[in-house]
Amino acid sequence: MNEEELFRAYRETHDVALRNEIVEKYLYIAAVLAKKFVGRGVDYDDLYQVASLALLKGVERFDERKGLKFSTFITPTITGEIKNYFRDRSRLVHLPRRVSELRVGIKRASEEFFAEHGRKPTAKELAGMLSVSEEEVVRCSDAGGVVSLDVPADREHEGMSLHDLLPAEGDMFETFEDRDALNAAVRTLGEQERALLKYRFGEELSQMETAKRLGVSQMNVSRMERRVLQKLRDTMKKAMTE
Amino acid sequence: MKEYLTMRLPLRREMMTTVRLAAGGVCSAAGMSYDGGEDCKLCVTESLLLMMRRGFTAAEVRFFPAPQGGIAVRAEGTEGEAAMPATDEDEIALALLSALAENVDIDREKGVIAFLFGQQA
Repeated sequence: MNEEELFRAYRETHDVALRNEIVEKYLYIAAVLAKKFVGRGVDYDDLYQVASLALLKGVERFDERKGLKFSTFITPTITGEIKNYFRDRSRLVHLPRRVSELRVGIKRASEEFFAEHGRKPTAKELAGMLSVSEEEVVRCSDAGGVVSLDVPADREHEGMSLHDLLPAEGDMFETFEDRDALNAAVRTLGEQERALLKYRFGEELSQMETAKRLGVSQMNVSRMERRVLQKLRDTMKKAMTE
Repeated sequence: MKEYLTMRLPLRREMMTTVRLAAGGVCSAAGMSYDGGEDCKLCVTESLLLMMRRGFTAAEVRFFPAPQGGIAVRAEGTEGEAAMPATDEDEIALALLSALAENVDIDREKGVIAFLFGQQA
C-alpha cells in the first residue's frame, strides 16, 4: 500500500496493527529530527522518545484527503513537541553549555565503561576517559538537579521544608540567629572537618586544592564535604527547633 | 543594508562545523537568545545540506539585520545546479525550516533559500 492507501485504510478501520505499521514506516523521521536537536542539553534518547510520541499522535491526526505529504505534516508537529519539551523540562535549571555537554559525555562514558568492565567507573576513570579533571566530573554529576521547595529538609522526611529554612530577605535577627546556630554547629565538627570548611568556603579553594592541603584524595574531600554539610544542617535544624 | 557576515564556501559536510560556529557568533552578536541561535544554526546548515544534496558544490551565505529586528539569512548555491531529484530527506529539511524560521522563501531551481529569525528569537 502506498502512503495514501495506508492512511485511508487506518482512518476507516482504526486497526492498531495498521497504525503500528505506519508508525514503524515513519519512525525514521522521529530519529532524523531528534538527531538535529542533539547538543542542547537533552540526551538523544529523550528527544527520540518525545519525537516518537509526537509521531504517534500525528498519525491519529493526519488526514490524507487534504493532499499533504505525511512527512511535510509530521515534521512541524514533531519539531513543535521537541521545542515544547526543551521549554518545559530542560530549562528548569539552566546549566552552562560545557556542563550540559560534559553531563552527556559522563553518561555515555559510564555506559561504555560498564559494558566493558561490568562495573561503574570511578570519577578518576571517567576523568581519564573524558580528558577532564576529577573535580569537573564530580561537579557535573551533581549539577542540574531540581528539588521542590516543599520537600522536607531532613532525611527522615519529616519536619521543616526547604522553604521553611529560606531566610527572609533583610531579616537581621534571623541572620544573627543563623550565624549563632552555625557557629555552634561548626564547634561540633572535628579538626579536619573544620579545616575543610575553611578551605572550601572561607578561602574558596577547589576540591583538588583542598585535598592537597589536607593530604587526602579529591574524592575524599567530596565525600567529607557532603558529610560535613549534612552534619551542619542536622545540628542547626535541631538547635532551631529546640 | 549593512551585512553582519558573508561566507563563501565549498559545499562539503566537513564545512558544516565552521558554518555552525560562524552562524552562532553572528546570532550572539545580533542579541538572539540561546534557543534562537541554535535554531538559526540548524536552519543554516539544513539549507546548505539541502543545496548540496540537490547538486550544488559551492554556496554563499549572507547574514544581515532583518528589517523589523532580528536576523535574516540568505543562502545561495553559487556553483553546480539543482540536478538531483528531491528526496524524502529534502522534504523533511524544508518542513523543518518552515517550522523553525519565519518568512521562509525557497527557489529550488536557482538554489536560493532565505529566511529570518525575528526580534523575539
